Amino acid sequence: MFVAGRRKSIAFFIALGAGLILVTLLLYIGWVLLNWHTGILVFLSVLLLAIIVSGVVLNTTFLVREIRRNAQHDAFINAVTHELKTPVASIRLYLQTLLTREVDEAKRAEFYHIMLEDSDRLLSTIEQVLRTGRVGPSNRKLNVAPIDLADVVEECLARARMLHHVPVESLNYAAGPAVKIMGDMDEVRAAVSNLIDNAVKYSGPEVNVTVETANLDGKYISLRVKDHGPGIPKTELKQIFKRFYRVSGPLATRVKGTGLGLYIVRSVAKRHGGRAWAESEGPGHGSTFVLQLPIAK
Amino acid sequence: MSRILVVEDEKHLAEGLRFNLEAEGYQVQIVETGEAALEVLNQQPAAFDLVVLDVMLPGKDGFTVMSEMRQAGQYTPTLMLTARGHPEDVLKGFEAGADDYLTKPFELSILIARLRGLQRRGDWLRASLKSSGNREGSSSGEHAASAEPVEAVTAPQTDRFSFGDKAVEFDLLELRVGDQIFPLTLMEANVLRYLIQHEGKPVSRRKMLEEVWGLHEDTDTRAIDNFIVRLRRYIEEDPTRPRHLRTVRGVGYRFVASPVEKN
Repeated sequence: MFVAGRRKSIAFFIALGAGLILVTLLLYIGWVLLNWHTGILVFLSVLLLAIIVSGVVLNTTFLVREIRRNAQHDAFINAVTHELKTPVASIRLYLQTLLTREVDEAKRAEFYHIMLEDSDRLLSTIEQVLRTGRVGPSNRKLNVAPIDLADVVEECLARARMLHHVPVESLNYAAGPAVKIMGDMDEVRAAVSNLIDNAVKYSGPEVNVTVETANLDGKYISLRVKDHGPGIPKTELKQIFKRFYRVSGPLATRVKGTGLGLYIVRSVAKRHGGRAWAESEGPGHGSTFVLQLPIAK
Repeated sequence: MSRILVVEDEKHLAEGLRFNLEAEGYQVQIVETGEAALEVLNQQPAAFDLVVLDVMLPGKDGFTVMSEMRQAGQYTPTLMLTARGHPEDVLKGFEAGADDYLTKPFELSILIARLRGLQRRGDWLRASLKSSGNREGSSSGEHAASAEPVEAVTAPQTDRFSFGDKAVEFDLLELRVGDQIFPLTLMEANVLRYLIQHEGKPVSRRKMLEEVWGLHEDTDTRAIDNFIVRLRRYIEEDPTRPRHLRTVRGVGYRFVASPVEKN
């Protein structure tokens, strides 16, 4: 309902902009035809026309962008509401159950585990939201030190296996040469962890993820996270790194998320003087996410 | 034993609900998607006494599932459960045909109380269906109103209102117009009941939202109009020129039981 409304208003503003430019051009051509002999006036009018046309184009562009951003923001609020309220609802449900009912010892232990997992989920959503604020432009200084990327990857893999209940063999790690990178431990860990989490989340029931590190020409080390999930359409490969952006369609509703994970990955890469991008042969062919970070000197 | 279908993709919540509902004596089946829910309900339409339906589901969302259920003629009492608590969302749920709506996080005791309430209504419905079965056997072909005594014996709390050739059976959630029977959702019945209680007087949209839905926040009160449009389709001979459910411009609506003809 809202989406259709937004699309309509975007189309309206584009049409309005194009219409205004057309009217201006027509008036202008008419005027030039009538006054072709006064040279300076014609020159001035060309200048004025250029200013008017570019003004209209800029105005339309910004309006359309603002409308799009608004739509994404709404979607983000919805997603965060869900991601925050669902674990709280679950924890409350189990606490109320434990308070009001007779629960045997085994069930009781199971309930505690479930509540712990829910509070972990809650915590990771909160951290994700807070981190988005920190990694934004012109924020917090990096706390740089030499880091062994292999250690970070092992740590994140162990965490992901526990969190998503995945067996060891579905999350593989092919370590390259041991080199240290210069980076902020906290941020690099968050970026690596986001990539691995995404790969697991989008894999569906059959998780088969490979993480590789490779030394590129002595300057950069690249971390590749390869999954056999649904893949990404070519047009979305860049978009997905934008803040709040989520691929539309059935996939996004199947996998829940806030649209912050990849934004954090890209921001961390930029802050470290590295890069992050996605590769995919298209839907159905899985995807590979690459994080490139500079090697410590 | 009452059977309850829980449509919820969050495993923790679903299992927590199962534990509690089973402790309350319900038999619980859990499905994770709207598609699965529709399939289960299609295969065994009468198998469940209650449905608990989440909104943010993978694939078809809860609102879609709800309206498809009702369109397919499934009137199992349904409680929608969701993290989205904006008044617009609540109204959207009711419009889709939900009987009740609860936002996450919820109080366990309130959830159970509401489910009991819905189930009670379902049981009354079944009891009066049985009695209406008897009635048809004993006085087939007669006008429904003439069978009053039989029903009075079997279902003492009969709650009905007749006007013209129409009768609203609140317990049955039915609207009878001549020989036709239209099933009503609980909310449609509640809106109608509220209007009938204030027969002849104009009722504002805001008042209806407060009294029928229990919503107090600022809301698009036009959402009610959809209910009125649906009710008019049942009641009015010409829904574009309503005689019973009249619009009071700038205020809301007015119910008139026996309109004076002016032709």
